[in-house]
Amino acid sequence: RYKPPATETNPALEDPTPDYMNLLGMVFSMCGLMLKLKWCAWIAVYCSFISFANSRSSEDTKQMMSSFM
Amino acid sequence: MKNLYIFIAVLFIPWSFSLAKYDEFEDGDDIMEYDDNDFAEFEDVSEDTVTESPQRIITTEDDEEEATVELEGQDENQEDFDDTDTQEGDTESEPYDDEEFEGYEEKPDASHSKNKDPITIVNVPAHLQNSWESYYMEILMVTGLLAYIMNYIIGKNKNNRLAHAWFNTHRELLESNFALVGDDGTNKEATSTGKLNQENEHIYNLWCSGRVCCEGMLIQLKFLKRQDLLNVLARMMRPASDQVQIKVTMNDEDMDTYVFAVGTRKALVRLQKEMQDLSEFCSDKPKSGAKYGLPDSLAILSEMGEVTEGMMDAKMIHFLTHYADKIDSVQFSDQFSGPKLMQEEGQLTKLPETKKTLLFTFNVPGSGNTSPKDMESLLPLMSMVIYSIDKAKKFRLNREGKQKADKNRARVEENFLKLTHVQRQEAAQSRREEKKRAEKERIMNEEDPEKQRRLEEAALRREQKKLEKKQMKMKQIKVKAM
Repeated sequence: RYKPPATETNPALEDPTPDYMNLLGMVFSMCGLMLKLKWCAWIAVYCSFISFANSRSSEDTKQMMSSFM
Repeated sequence: MKNLYIFIAVLFIPWSFSLAKYDEFEDGDDIMEYDDNDFAEFEDVSEDTVTESPQRIITTEDDEEEATVELEGQDENQEDFDDTDTQEGDTESEPYDDEEFEGYEEKPDASHSKNKDPITIVNVPAHLQNSWESYYMEILMVTGLLAYIMNYIIGKNKNNRLAHAWFNTHRELLESNFALVGDDGTNKEATSTGKLNQENEHIYNLWCSGRVCCEGMLIQLKFLKRQDLLNVLARMMRPASDQVQIKVTMNDEDMDTYVFAVGTRKALVRLQKEMQDLSEFCSDKPKSGAKYGLPDSLAILSEMGEVTEGMMDAKMIHFLTHYADKIDSVQFSDQFSGPKLMQEEGQLTKLPETKKTLLFTFNVPGSGNTSPKDMESLLPLMSMVIYSIDKAKKFRLNREGKQKADKNRARVEENFLKLTHVQRQEAAQSRREEKKRAEKERIMNEEDPEKQRRLEEAALRREQKKLEKKQMKMKQIKVKAM
């Protein structure tokens, strides 16, 4: 028969953590750069790690790498 | 291991707050050095402030070098008092950097050189010593990151092991019941990969198909997020357990029309609020299952009493009582459309699509500290699933039941239509206006005056006809009313 585990109509609705973490990470890294606060930069690194850990496997690794930066 | 993580995590918070202070001091350091050369004439004024500030800093910090620093600070200030150019003294004692306190050992040397040669200005570099202590912020952060990475790897592996343990125990049963086990959706034809599909570090999917009465079965192993340290810490506050979610999509002809759910009271209350079909068809609160011999922890939600009677046969009751602690919820529904969608007022124009499904949610025993062996205990639950599939196929409502069910469904549809009536009217109105506008535009764009006239006439005629029709309708209604 037929085989569409093209499932999850709304994966974004069900777990927004990685997206939030991505956004937070970017915000903190901008803060860190503009205001020269070291701890901001560290928090940004943490956020990107958390986002990576929670992410779905369908997202590309290139995005992950750029978020690490 | 866990204690270590907690310890590290708890350390972060106070350190990060205290460290903001040091950042400001480091910046102040640079500024002071450059500015003091300009303010040589204010040395008396600045010296007074300078003598006060190092002592203030000393009291706020808890360093071992406190005692030595105080003495040295006082000595140095007394020496500098006599000298005319005391910018170095200012630069050295003003910066509020922890490194400066270590650098005080060098101060006597600097002051000696100054005594011999009062005019030379000694440039003291900012970082006097490259000791580890000056980088403790970085070291702490890196340790934290390493802890996170380690937890990630450990969690990932554990989830992986659990998933494969589950799959190995269930593989035989699944393969005997389903022709197609495991499919990615990437190949064009349906081929059995025989492997779990890893969607995430904590979610594993398995699609089985090829059984007589069902379209397919999707099994989702939703583990806890062991790979995320934050989640691990949160779970220490609030215990949760892994879940296995099974969704069986039935063929249209194989299941009769009813909505029925069994599960823990808490789960049912939550489902009734969230799920579209349960909230519409099952109006009562969950009833206790004690009437049928179920334990108190389980409750029943159903559209009709007849459905409950039919579903609760001996074998089902046996399953439910024996594995009550592992069952979170079981839902049979022919109007399943997923959780209620939060839509804005103007968007609801159509009823959501429904599919006949059986949904099972099981909790893995162990509540977080599961080991691969626990997976074996879930095997009988899988046989319950298969039994339910067969049962749902065989179970048919009698005539009364069917009538009631149809009435219910019609009622729901009517309600829905009433709700959206206004929106649909508006939509139709806007469509009509669009058409009129398009026509008018066409007429305007028509270059040939002849054609223009003809089109205008045609449009006029059409409008007149519509008006006439409306008038006729009104007359008919009036006649009927009379």
